[in-house]
Amino acid sequence: MTHLSRTTHGIAYDSTNDEIVAPNPLAAAVVIFRGGATGEEAPIRTLQGARTGLSRPETVAVDEKNNEIFVGDPGDRRVLVYKRDADGDAKPLRTIQGPKTKLLQVVGIAVDPIRDVLVVSTYSRLPGGVTGLLMFGRTDEGDVAPKRVIAGPKSGITRLRQIGLDPETGKIYAAVINNEYLPPYDIDKPRRGLDPNVDLPSPWNTGSEGFIGVWDDEKDDGDVPPRSLIKGRSTGIVHPAGVTFNARDGEVIAPDAVWNGLFTFLKPELFGRNAKGSQ
Amino acid sequence: MRRRVLLTLATVVGLSIVTIPSGAPSLEEMFVATTQAAEEAEGALCLMPEANDGARGSSRADDGQATQIAIPTRSDAEGGDLPPVRMVVDPYPSFNGVVVDSASDLVMMSDTNRKSLLIYDRTAGSATSKQAANPKQQIMGPDTGVGFVAGVAMDPVHRELFTVNNDVEDRLVVFDYDARGNVAPKRLLYVPHQSWGIAFAPKRDVMALSVQTPNMYVVFKREAKKFDAPIRSVRGPKTAMADPHGIYFDETHNEVVVGNHGNFRPGELITSYTAYDARESRQERTGDAFDESARGRFVPSSITIYDGDASGDVAPLRTIQGPTSQVDWPMGVAVDEVNNEIVVANNGDNSILVFPRTANGDVQPKRAIRGALTGIKGPMGVAVAKDEIWVANFGDHTALVFPRLAGGNVAPRRILRNAPAGKETSGFGNPYAVAYDTKRREVLVPN
Repeated sequence: MTHLSRTTHGIAYDSTNDEIVAPNPLAAAVVIFRGGATGEEAPIRTLQGARTGLSRPETVAVDEKNNEIFVGDPGDRRVLVYKRDADGDAKPLRTIQGPKTKLLQVVGIAVDPIRDVLVVSTYSRLPGGVTGLLMFGRTDEGDVAPKRVIAGPKSGITRLRQIGLDPETGKIYAAVINNEYLPPYDIDKPRRGLDPNVDLPSPWNTGSEGFIGVWDDEKDDGDVPPRSLIKGRSTGIVHPAGVTFNARDGEVIAPDAVWNGLFTFLKPELFGRNAKGSQ
Repeated sequence: MRRRVLLTLATVVGLSIVTIPSGAPSLEEMFVATTQAAEEAEGALCLMPEANDGARGSSRADDGQATQIAIPTRSDAEGGDLPPVRMVVDPYPSFNGVVVDSASDLVMMSDTNRKSLLIYDRTAGSATSKQAANPKQQIMGPDTGVGFVAGVAMDPVHRELFTVNNDVEDRLVVFDYDARGNVAPKRLLYVPHQSWGIAFAPKRDVMALSVQTPNMYVVFKREAKKFDAPIRSVRGPKTAMADPHGIYFDETHNEVVVGNHGNFRPGELITSYTAYDARESRQERTGDAFDESARGRFVPSSITIYDGDASGDVAPLRTIQGPTSQVDWPMGVAVDEVNNEIVVANNGDNSILVFPRTANGDVQPKRAIRGALTGIKGPMGVAVAKDEIWVANFGDHTALVFPRLAGGNVAPRRILRNAPAGKETSGFGNPYAVAYDTKRREVLVPN
């Protein structure tokens, strides 16, 4: 009844309208629940169908100021924007797609309605593909180049997933997972082109250590390190795939699939003056 | 009817707090330390957020005495290597797949939470014990290749244990019967991304794996390893598979039974590549020549039954589907080949459904085990052996054993616990995203 799947790589909470938004990549849908939903409760709205343009939605964000839902869809390498209350087989208001966009495996999306910035996390193994953060204008449409790109060795990003954005400060919170997924699987010839004796990354040692990185959505551009980060043995996180924050209490929250757990860090200095613990 | 959201959208309101030792030199040691820390702190229920004397949290120990946990009011260590102020980690296993070896009187279950395989005596557990049962063996550690595991199988003839990783790791690992601890698998087979169930067919010496996103099952030789390809697959629109999970190879009647959640995307959108690279591969292959009108849809959950020799895009022989059937998010499926019944772990409504093996259409189950007395909570795996039905609970730290003919709201004959009674599960299954509900001050975690 919920129309959720066991594979849900994104989620957003709309505090203005008290709604939960989640993608279902296995059914090419986005489902919206009331904020207090519990149990096997049906969504109050569902985006799905040929007109929606959804093929494998991975990540969602809500622009509460402008009443829009943003969807990152790596299935067709694009960003789709809908009216917040769109329902059914609804056509997107805008689509960002095309070679200039550098959109590939779109896995995180966040919007800053104050500075009119749209941030997308994307990665790729393709030659010339970008693995990093792309900053677009909030109302950009079509085959447009990102205004700024945060990527490169100084950024520490080798792979990333969900992102969050605090419009009050313009800070981007990125789950830089930095693990390695396996090469593509071809059912007729698995791991085509690989040395048959190669050992692929194990689940226990899948690459460099991940972290939560913080960047500025207007000031940062290029191969720049994070302004703040949560990383290291004391943190408990190894390959964080998600991130959000509780600005009121100055907390950054991240799940980690290695531990199958959820970690909360106190970082009041990152938030506005109203955060508890800030000075 | 709560299970679906509890499984997929865990709302974290009560937090267990542990402190992670710092300075561990390796990932492996850190994992062990984290688990031990979680075990030591287990039972501490967070009473966040109000603070006393500068601390931001307190805990309630098992004896009911509230004790302060030393949580700093801020943590801004330079370099970002700072300890968490709270951590939700379930220190106990969470059962997923289940298989019984009747000849050796063993039962094996996969553990998604701590990433292990657990093997018990088939008669382990009791109706009344509140304590965790001791496994005969546990296979766990960085060398095992056991990660976010789901389906399991046992081969008593060749004395081999099988489990398949559902996500990230994309591999099936095989161990000897007496393996334990942090041991390397005797064989490793790379499998399609999102493989979930294993159906072992000993007479044919093959195993069939269900694969979620491509809506298919693939068949490998038992001894397949490394990059060996499947010997055949069943996939395509005629199959009517939609997000398949449980799978069983009924060699007595030469049929394969598959449980489908009902999430569907048409084949045009799918490649044989992993979900993570599907689009890249598809564009490279097709030069953007894909069907824009081909999109997703929801179909009712179903049980589909195929000819055991099926290959390619073939229709099921029979389909159990519809409101009368009550099939709702079927996870594990099993066939009682002697008594001609199909048994379904019906995750959507916390029940076990039993159908005649030849059932077809929107038919009522012969029996349903459902209700508060049953203890069924988030059933994932199911197995039938020696006139008993085994149920692996994901929503509780238990596996349940019922008489084969049990029906209705009945207590299990035995309960096998992997944690002391009353310990709740986190419900996490490879969490990859999170959101914060500012209104309720809750953390939302989809699986």
